[in-house]
Amino acid sequence: MEYSLAVRRHFAAPQKARELPAGSPGLVAGEAEDRTLHVWVRFQLQIVDETIAAAGFQAFGCPHTLAAASAVADWAEGRPVAEVRKLDVKAVCAELEVPVEKLGLLLRIEDAVAACCRTGT
Amino acid sequence: MSSREIYLDYAATAPLDSQVAAAMHECMTREFGNPSSLHAAGRRARALVDAARASVAARVGAASDRIVFTSGATESNNLALQGVLRRSRNRRVHLVTSRIEHKSVLDVARALESSGVEVTYVAATAGGSVDPERVVEAIGADTQLVSIMHVNNETGVIQDVRAIGDACRARGVLFHVDAAQSVGKLPLELAAAPIDLCSLTAHKVCGPKGIGALYVAPRVTLAPQMHGGEQERGLRAGTLATHQVVGMGKAYDLADPASEAPRFAALRDRLWDELRAIEGARSNGDRERSAAHVLNVTFPGVDGESLRFALQDVCVSAGSACAADSPEASHVLTGMGLSDVLAGSSLRFSVGRFTTEAEVVTAAARVAAAVTRLRTLARSAPPWCSA
Repeated sequence: MEYSLAVRRHFAAPQKARELPAGSPGLVAGEAEDRTLHVWVRFQLQIVDETIAAAGFQAFGCPHTLAAASAVADWAEGRPVAEVRKLDVKAVCAELEVPVEKLGLLLRIEDAVAACCRTGT
Repeated sequence: MSSREIYLDYAATAPLDSQVAAAMHECMTREFGNPSSLHAAGRRARALVDAARASVAARVGAASDRIVFTSGATESNNLALQGVLRRSRNRRVHLVTSRIEHKSVLDVARALESSGVEVTYVAATAGGSVDPERVVEAIGADTQLVSIMHVNNETGVIQDVRAIGDACRARGVLFHVDAAQSVGKLPLELAAAPIDLCSLTAHKVCGPKGIGALYVAPRVTLAPQMHGGEQERGLRAGTLATHQVVGMGKAYDLADPASEAPRFAALRDRLWDELRAIEGARSNGDRERSAAHVLNVTFPGVDGESLRFALQDVCVSAGSACAADSPEASHVLTGMGLSDVLAGSSLRFSVGRFTTEAEVVTAAARVAAAVTRLRTLARSAPPWCSA
């Protein structure tokens, strides 16, 4: 399996692999999993004034999953909720040069973020 | 290899021994003759091949004329299975093998199935053994061949090939053993064993890749799978790669289990002593019945691909290197009862001639650090990620 430089960078140092402080105002969380694909993703978003003030994630899965979750968390922070709600993980896959056969795994990231946004509305 | 890199994947392949390289270099630069030629250059090449054949035969306790050189254990397995089962057409034929064989047996078995051969895949125990009684139960009136590996390539578990072979002999069934992982780790005495066909390879014992052999017991007839020459008693057409053969012979001269296996066992045990300190780590396969060089460990709560990626300077495998590109969980570990998730959270470590104690200690420390980091990234993960 080949991994792009972007995947290597996110995997080595996922800046937003963190738990946001409990009780933070506007904190929402969402999870998604696929047991058959061995992937679980949990996102936390702190929504302040319809904007993502902070993002954090946890993930169990392959390097592409961890890297993509990290990239999405980096991307989400500072963006309006309305934009994050429209997250297209295929664009993230392209940026990270994720093999097409891994797309099914990464769709769980989209699901987890969508679950966050639902909670936040 | 970088200075940080630690190689613990000898079950996949081993570095070439410098003595082997020297013997091959000598052959390549001085003796280019075709060993089938009758002139002087050919006779010198033939003498080198004969000497190498004698070395291979001596290591496995067989007569030289029972050794057929091939391109490796995969070809040997193909020749053994197809050579026996494609001999007789227009009659029912049955193969017995196990669910934890190497792909080079299982894929051949599936190909044979598609052409009408009946195949029984015997399950393994939770400890990774193939119970000889289960094999006996599977043998029927149409069974022509039983194929069971000697040492499992993923767990190192040693199968009771003596008991299985005795049962086959008593029933007039041929018995094939894939011994790719056992040469140099266990003594082999094929001439005295109830084994009819045995696959061998060079590159697992610090020899070159691309060369192996099949031991064929007296009175066993095979249908050749390659045509175009009478080399290797008509069983394997093609000009012999003399330098590869010479390399295999030298590698087998050096691969003495009496001198090397105790050191491998000490290294493996030291590695396990370090790894067992990682919370939840458990070894797979009955280590009391395992070859000295392999240790398979599950690290619950960690994805295996991520762990291997995090350990890039520690060269280990998820399981068989021949299935490394497959996203599927190890069929050996799931065949022993592990869940797909736990099988995917497992690593195979294998030591060899050039492994040092300092390397296994350093590798274990790096594994511990990587497992801790990945578990932190998934600290709230649901229980199924660890079960």
